[in-house]
Amino acid sequence: MTISTVGSGMTPSPAPAPGRPRGVTARILRRAWGYGEMKAAAFLFVALALLTVLGPLVIDASATKISVADKFLPPLFMEGGRLPHVLGTDQLGRDLLLRSLVGLRNAFAIGLTSVVGMFVLGCAIGIYAGYRGGWVDVLLMRLTDVQMSIPVIILAITILGVSRPNPASIIAVLVLASWPVYARVSRGVALAERQKEYVRAARIIGASDLRIMVRHIAPSILPPIAFVAVLDVARMMIFEAIFGFIGIGIQPPTPTFGTIISAGTQYLINAWWITIVPGVLLALALGSLNLMGGVLERARNYILQGGA
Amino acid sequence: MAFAFEFFLRRLSQGVVIVVLVAFVIFTLLRVVPGDPIRIILGPMTPASVLEETARALGLRDPILVQFGRFMGEVATGDLGRSFIRGLQGGSAGGSQDVAGYSPESRASVAGLIATALPYSLQLAGLGVAFALLVAFPIGIAAGLRAGRWPDRLGLYASSFFVSLPNIWVAVVLIFLLSAKAGLLPAIGYQGFAYTIIPAMVLAIELSPVMIRAISVAVAANLGEAYYDAGIVRGLSRRTMVARHVLRNAAVPLLNLFGAQMIGMLLGGLFVVEYIFSYPGIGMLTISAVFQRDFPVIQAVAILASGVLVAINMLVDFASTMIDRRLKF
Repeated sequence: MTISTVGSGMTPSPAPAPGRPRGVTARILRRAWGYGEMKAAAFLFVALALLTVLGPLVIDASATKISVADKFLPPLFMEGGRLPHVLGTDQLGRDLLLRSLVGLRNAFAIGLTSVVGMFVLGCAIGIYAGYRGGWVDVLLMRLTDVQMSIPVIILAITILGVSRPNPASIIAVLVLASWPVYARVSRGVALAERQKEYVRAARIIGASDLRIMVRHIAPSILPPIAFVAVLDVARMMIFEAIFGFIGIGIQPPTPTFGTIISAGTQYLINAWWITIVPGVLLALALGSLNLMGGVLERARNYILQGGA
Repeated sequence: MAFAFEFFLRRLSQGVVIVVLVAFVIFTLLRVVPGDPIRIILGPMTPASVLEETARALGLRDPILVQFGRFMGEVATGDLGRSFIRGLQGGSAGGSQDVAGYSPESRASVAGLIATALPYSLQLAGLGVAFALLVAFPIGIAAGLRAGRWPDRLGLYASSFFVSLPNIWVAVVLIFLLSAKAGLLPAIGYQGFAYTIIPAMVLAIELSPVMIRAISVAVAANLGEAYYDAGIVRGLSRRTMVARHVLRNAAVPLLNLFGAQMIGMLLGGLFVVEYIFSYPGIGMLTISAVFQRDFPVIQAVAILASGVLVAINMLVDFASTMIDRRLKF
């Protein structure tokens, strides 16, 4: 603790600008919040989050219980719909709104966990490679080349297609497939950061390499990268849906968008809502994440290019 | 020319190493994860002794490194082997069809299977990219030219919207609207060019957000450069500057994007879209091969896919230096 405070005190300029450790995050967030789109997207996201938490408590139905008498009920806004099935029921009489909400919760949990995983793994490798340089750097970056040359889908079905897939193995595959991007980006920034005064200062007063990487470089370069990771949460949720569709995602009866959509395709002509309606909910959730991510990315670029 | 020669020599040797490593990863992965192809080749009723005998005859019980060495030796001579599952006519011939025993000669060659499927995939990919460019170019350029104004917002909305549509869902929606309801286009399988259109639309929706963003960023960045102002000062019109110079210089980051990101995305999208539409391309071939543990097919596609990625990246880097002479200095 003492070392790190002394370390940042060694920076000659009184303003935190050269090392720009704090401040940047707050400025990016403030800039992003200035966009109306950001507020709208955040509102939508919070609304959906509340719905996923409260919905299962309020709706008097089960996401997995089969009820043949209620099958193929259309949504309320169509003729023949009835409560409590606001968005209708599927081919087995299960409530679609409820299944979508549980599916959304599962997809988000998998998306968020896998992005945290790939962020930590990728950035750890990237910072290490950038800070160390030399053959370690070359080796690790060639490794990212190899990893990036394997299509995600091949990797996923090879691993998930043979065993009974579960959330942990799905997350592991997503992390394995996507860490190189984070490694590349963080390595590039770490390489530049290594030359900076505050890092040299820390080294002079005897801070260990590990300490410099974890306590000094990581906090100053990671927040800008983290903002863009919001976009990846949405991407991973789409992958989760694709896996479910192919049959290598979370297994039935647990509701996920992939299985809901793939099962519903058989009844497309007579009961289109089984596939279409849950997809709208998923697209809304992804839309809120992507819009937030897009605005955060713009705000970040603006601030990093010297905007106030 | 000496530059080009040295460039390709260095990058080619790096590329070969990467492709071999990718092949090794996939090769090992296939043999480490559970799921024995022999059981699928011979069917569930085969006695264990026959299973073992066939597995040994195929070399599947040798150490993985020995198997890999043998495989790479064959690949080096241009032989990609024969499918475990697919018969000479291309259909699946697993299980009960030849209980008497397995003979590799009765199976289709992997090279032949790929050669049959590849044109379909190229057609789909080409049309998908064309559709995506058709959408992304006008929006992207407009957004880049008017940064911070409404076309820019439109670009943000359009890319956020398209990227939020899961391809599996878009596919089902389009099948429902264009095929089932309106009866405008056919959707599942392949019996003619029309079968490519809906899958290509799905692919385009997946590709366009990245394109829109990249095009607008590249165009906007060039408007801030000194050469742009210099051109205007010398009396060139905005239109000329954009058409003649900005687009040319914006091509460099765009080409980079196409290499690094787009080909990977395209490949992934192709796999999923072909699977949804039962479109008879490489993706469909590979996905069914993985489910059937058809090792030779998967390995060959992995080599091919990583080879294409590496080659495209190499060409893109080369083209970048050719378009923008500054990069050479």
